[in-house]
Amino acid sequence: MEYVYALIMLMALYVILATSFDFVIGYGGLISIAHPVFYAIGAYTSALLALDFGLPIPLAIPAGAVVALLASVAVALPSLRISGDYLLIASIGFQLGLLEAIKNMAWTGGSGGLTNIPGVSAQSGGHGPYVVVTVLLAIGTVLLLRWITGSSYGRAISALRDDDMAFSALGRNGMMMKVGIFALGSGLAGLAGGLYAHYFRFLAPGQFGIMQSAALLTMVVVGGMRSIWGPVLGAVVLEALPQAITFLNLPPSLLGPLQGILFTGLVLVFMFARPQGLIGGGDVWRGRAVREVRDVARP
Amino acid sequence: MSPGLEVRMLCKRFGGIVVADSINLQIPAGRVVGLIGPNGAGKTSFFNLVSGIVRPDAGSVTLGGVDLTGLKTHQRARRGLSRTWQNLRLFSSLTVLDNLLVAPRLYLGESLTALLFGAGRVRRAERADRERATAILERTGLADIAHMSVGSVTFGQQKLIGVARALMNDPCCLLLDEPMAGVEGQAYQTIQRVVRDLAESGIAVCVVEHNVAFIRDLCDEGVFMFAGRVLARGSVAELIADPRLTELYFGT
Repeated sequence: MEYVYALIMLMALYVILATSFDFVIGYGGLISIAHPVFYAIGAYTSALLALDFGLPIPLAIPAGAVVALLASVAVALPSLRISGDYLLIASIGFQLGLLEAIKNMAWTGGSGGLTNIPGVSAQSGGHGPYVVVTVLLAIGTVLLLRWITGSSYGRAISALRDDDMAFSALGRNGMMMKVGIFALGSGLAGLAGGLYAHYFRFLAPGQFGIMQSAALLTMVVVGGMRSIWGPVLGAVVLEALPQAITFLNLPPSLLGPLQGILFTGLVLVFMFARPQGLIGGGDVWRGRAVREVRDVARP
Repeated sequence: MSPGLEVRMLCKRFGGIVVADSINLQIPAGRVVGLIGPNGAGKTSFFNLVSGIVRPDAGSVTLGGVDLTGLKTHQRARRGLSRTWQNLRLFSSLTVLDNLLVAPRLYLGESLTALLFGAGRVRRAERADRERATAILERTGLADIAHMSVGSVTFGQQKLIGVARALMNDPCCLLLDEPMAGVEGQAYQTIQRVVRDLAESGIAVCVVEHNVAFIRDLCDEGVFMFAGRVLARGSVAELIADPRLTELYFGT
């Protein structure tokens, strides 16, 4: 049962991570692969607040999300001011730099990891409700992003991605919107981080590195960029797949490389054979508003 | 005459190339002024400087008496300065109607906080915008293709969408960058009529155009630019008749 709980837990967390990453990179067109660093900030903030300051878990998790959101604004503001391309470089630098800092500080547990994080224990039967709450939050995230991308804000995001110069020449504050998109996506990653920390109760900097970036990118690309259900499917499938492989009873020395090959192989196959992913996002934005107009136009 | 757009001593150089050399230009409200000159004269650069895409080295821009000089592009647009683009720059992943719906001068939908905490207000604004966009699409003959993607319509229609989108922006001053290049027939006449209506409703219009017939028929006056400078200003007929300018335009 514990195994099933952990699997559902991870799937729900990756649904939050992949959909929020798709919001940033797919919908927003903001090229950054540093999404896991905001996952890390949420996780470490929430864990340390609970561990060192005794903050109750239901307060520590949202606090972690807020700190991740603020950190993302601090990264996005200066780099977007120069040019959109700098975001990629600045965010990777931030990701690697912060993880390096975590590795070398005592109060974050160093490279050995942070242990004894307050959380729900399996013995007291707290895991079930915690998993339910996480799944509900994952569903909430999907619905929130679906609502936003289908709203007038979603229309503006599409226009901004298509041509930010024409967009600002119409009076739109594109810079502000880019920061907003990045902040919301990163805040949601921070939320996932807090949820992770108090369930698995162990954090190490290695969990949030470039490999994690690659995994999230795979989920979004395989599932389908710029679609809501694509990353959801990508997260579930790619979380289940490595687990399925473990049932093959292969030696551990083979298992690790096999999973790596599987992920990179999938990205390559999809890039060439089905670039729109399992669930394509479609080339033309169709929001709720459009449907309403059509209803009005009908006699 | 009301002030309209006023540009004073606008200067800009990129290294050794001067794109704006102390340009003084006034476009009164309700008038159509044509910018004429050979390629590389600085006409599009002038538009980029006025709309804030490019920062000038010196000089000022005011619109209706309001100083726009220190403002960013989107802030200038919110004060009534709109432009179109030579290469259109339509939003390719949006339908024709949605290209207009993101273009009102104030768009509540661009604010995430307005959306999250004032959904009702956003919806009401959206409804009013939709009515206005539908009216503009009818006026420009685009109503039938409102729900098509902008990539799937003809080039003439795309040109019209560019103008319609600028109309949705409800400008006090409109800069049109080669609205007629590659346009003929119905679309040509529609753009002509729309620009004339705009001027009559009191909007200052500035047009960069190589189509001499269009400039002659439509513009109240012409401005001849060469090497980043305003060389002459007068009626379009006068400018065309000036052998000195003709020589500069066609080269020798």
